[in-house]
Amino acid sequence: MAANAHAVEEHAGPAGPVAHHFNNMRQQQATVRFGMWLFLVTEVLFFGGAFCAYTCYRIWFPREFEAGSAALNVGIASVNTILLITSSLTCTMAVRSAYKAHQAGIKFWLLTTIVLAVTFLGLKAREYHLDYEEGLMPTAKMTVDLQPQADGSYLPQERSVFAMNVEKALKHNHYDTTGVNLGRVQLFFLFYYVITGLHVLHMIIGVGLLIWQLILAQMGFFKYAERHVYIEVMSLYWHFVDMVWMFALPLLYLAGPHTLHQAVEQFTSAVGLATGGSH
Amino acid sequence: MTTKVPYLHYTPQSIPTPELPPEQEKKRKHYLNHDYGILSWLLTVDHKRIGLMYLVTASVFFLFGGLAVMLVRLNLIVPTGAILELDQYNKAFTAHGTIMIFLFLIPVIPGVLGNFLVPLMVGAKDMAFPKLNLLSYYVWISGALFFVWQLTVGGLDTGWTLYPPYSSKYSHTNVLYAGLGIFITGFASILTAMNIIATVHKMRCPGMTWSRLPLFIWAMYATSLIQLLSTPVLAVTVILLATEKLTGIGIFDPALDGDPILFQHMFWFYSHPAVYIMILPGMGVISEVITCFSRKNIFGYKAVAWSSVGIAVVGFLVWGHHMFLAGQGYYLGMLFSILTMLVAVPSAIKVFNWAGTMYKGSISFEAPMLYTIGFLVLFTIGGTTGLYLGVMGSDIHLHDTYFVIAHFHFTMVGGMLMAWMAGLHFWWPKMTGKMYSDFWSRLAAVVTIVGFIMTFMPQFVLGFNGMPRRYPNYAPEFQFLNILSSAGASIQGIGYVMPLFYLTASLFTGRKAGSNPWQATGLEWQTPSPPPMHNFDATPVVYFPPYEYALPNGLGMLADAGITPGSNPALEPAFAPAAGQHEVSHGS
Repeated sequence: MAANAHAVEEHAGPAGPVAHHFNNMRQQQATVRFGMWLFLVTEVLFFGGAFCAYTCYRIWFPREFEAGSAALNVGIASVNTILLITSSLTCTMAVRSAYKAHQAGIKFWLLTTIVLAVTFLGLKAREYHLDYEEGLMPTAKMTVDLQPQADGSYLPQERSVFAMNVEKALKHNHYDTTGVNLGRVQLFFLFYYVITGLHVLHMIIGVGLLIWQLILAQMGFFKYAERHVYIEVMSLYWHFVDMVWMFALPLLYLAGPHTLHQAVEQFTSAVGLATGGSH
Repeated sequence: MTTKVPYLHYTPQSIPTPELPPEQEKKRKHYLNHDYGILSWLLTVDHKRIGLMYLVTASVFFLFGGLAVMLVRLNLIVPTGAILELDQYNKAFTAHGTIMIFLFLIPVIPGVLGNFLVPLMVGAKDMAFPKLNLLSYYVWISGALFFVWQLTVGGLDTGWTLYPPYSSKYSHTNVLYAGLGIFITGFASILTAMNIIATVHKMRCPGMTWSRLPLFIWAMYATSLIQLLSTPVLAVTVILLATEKLTGIGIFDPALDGDPILFQHMFWFYSHPAVYIMILPGMGVISEVITCFSRKNIFGYKAVAWSSVGIAVVGFLVWGHHMFLAGQGYYLGMLFSILTMLVAVPSAIKVFNWAGTMYKGSISFEAPMLYTIGFLVLFTIGGTTGLYLGVMGSDIHLHDTYFVIAHFHFTMVGGMLMAWMAGLHFWWPKMTGKMYSDFWSRLAAVVTIVGFIMTFMPQFVLGFNGMPRRYPNYAPEFQFLNILSSAGASIQGIGYVMPLFYLTASLFTGRKAGSNPWQATGLEWQTPSPPPMHNFDATPVVYFPPYEYALPNGLGMLADAGITPGSNPALEPAFAPAAGQHEVSHGS
């Protein structure tokens, strides 16, 4: 009877490596694809919650969010955007190779995607480092600062460390801070770290998946064209991470004014290309 | 070239399934004796074994949560607090709330019955993603153990709602790590939900159309949708709260012009739908049990099925009724009040349909049915008192009093827990192949229900008279009702401990259940108990809707009445396959 059942299963769909609990390959592929879409639905709500809270505060405090955005390094963000979009393309190329069970293509495009993603993460780490050096970390610490008085003298006053740091960073970017509650800019920075941090975490998981798929490809797992579905769902995830960035970029980096010149200068000095970096 | 399809033709007429002779039955391989050893359990991807693992762990957590509340009830015997320090009292009721909600009520039915029954009921060999299923168990258990560890080493004193600034500035307990534990268990609940939705969509056996799905499946589907859509919002809220704890200044901190009400909005966007995560699976169980013990088709299949989806959808739009007095806008409050009235409609549809199902049925009162009747009465009381809280005017009087406590315990304990006990007793023979003691199980049901009413009825009065929730001390005139409530809690406790004994005893001394001890129609009863490794000996094919008790149900029963094919021409159609029901479609 078991042999009969097996025969029926093979008649029901294209032959291939089918897991024990599926009737045929088509059902298995559809299920795997469907599962990933369900996971992405959850992810949309996950980032949606953070973006929703961001939106509430941005509506209440537009000036502070604009100022916070102006203090960010838009140069690195721009280059990272290009890297990430390109990595989505290369990821899709890997899927295309998997459709054809083209082993060399799968490995090449997966590797390219990994390289692009790791470059993104490296630049992002550099950006966090620069933010840290500029003191753009939310903190409750206070310090004593000399404040200019009307008669030209200076008077010591207690001020938030963060407010002083962000003021310095904004001055460097030629941003007019009148009317901005500098301490409150921390709200923006909390969202900046939470949203980009979660995005980075998703990218690290994504790179892990890519490496795993690369190892599988090396072991010949994808010599069955039917198994393209695993690369396909991984690329769905990767495109999703890309989409999150497409929302995070304008909300975080482009909320304040930036110029192209500034972006180029920020990027070149960040990666050490500029002579006499200003940081 | 034609192959004979080894399908098991499932029709209501096939009840009762013929049993194997005893000596063959003894040798039969099923999921429990398929292989032995600790690793065969820890590394299993079989949904039935994972379901049993959930059963054991969730029961342990239920015991913990119960012990915590026993401390609370003991303390409340005396107006000034009998045994606990103020701080300990906060930790005790928080432990009770968080353990019961996050570690018991939310995972128990999806984890145990959902895992065990969903593939059986849709005629699949396993869940859509068996390895993910095992992963979700381990994610859940590690999050849960981490959480319990944090509760025992430092405690949590914020109440289960974790409102800042109680949870941020003014808490000296392990909010950060407890939050991490909740976050991890939430991840497991998302994975289970994905698995169940994918199974229902993609793994149904031939003939199992959407309109033939058992109502338990519809309820689990709606539950999983809520879990999938709301849990990530709690996750991100906990992350934001953790950021606040880590940096010492925060997103919800008014000192920075942050808004603590925003936390409440985000928290209840999860936690209100979460009460439907808790109750909907219970409603699914009730639909299964009530049809079986009334020997009738469900009254209004489509209404019950779609009301589950209706609850899932409208349940997302009512979270603001927790915040009528927290400072949200007046008109927003009115809107939420109206929507709250609206969400009562699908629940009421279900209750009326269950009553309609029982009407003129041949009701018998086995333990599952006793729990179910308990559910119907208690859940109706819980639901209708919810309306008092949903109306803004009366909520101002009743907000944060024991009236609220009594209301949600009537829905969560009187509703969900009764349903869980009903489901556990109903499917225990299927899970273990053994029958438990009829007398003790009925007694336990009665004791539980009596104890429950004694515990929570007084709390309505207490709350209406103004006793606030979460206070360790109260005015002396409330003492009598509090003692009554505590006494009821101990009776309830006995009612919950009793099954532990007679169910365990049934494993060793219980008589064989056979494949279908309740003469039920569901697909899960068409396979031997305990089910074989891959659920069915051959792929089942479904020709009928799920609750055809009204048809001349079962050749066996007809034979009991002396009716066999050919004996009575008027009854002959009962033996013919139903006309026009032969289309077979693969699930998609």
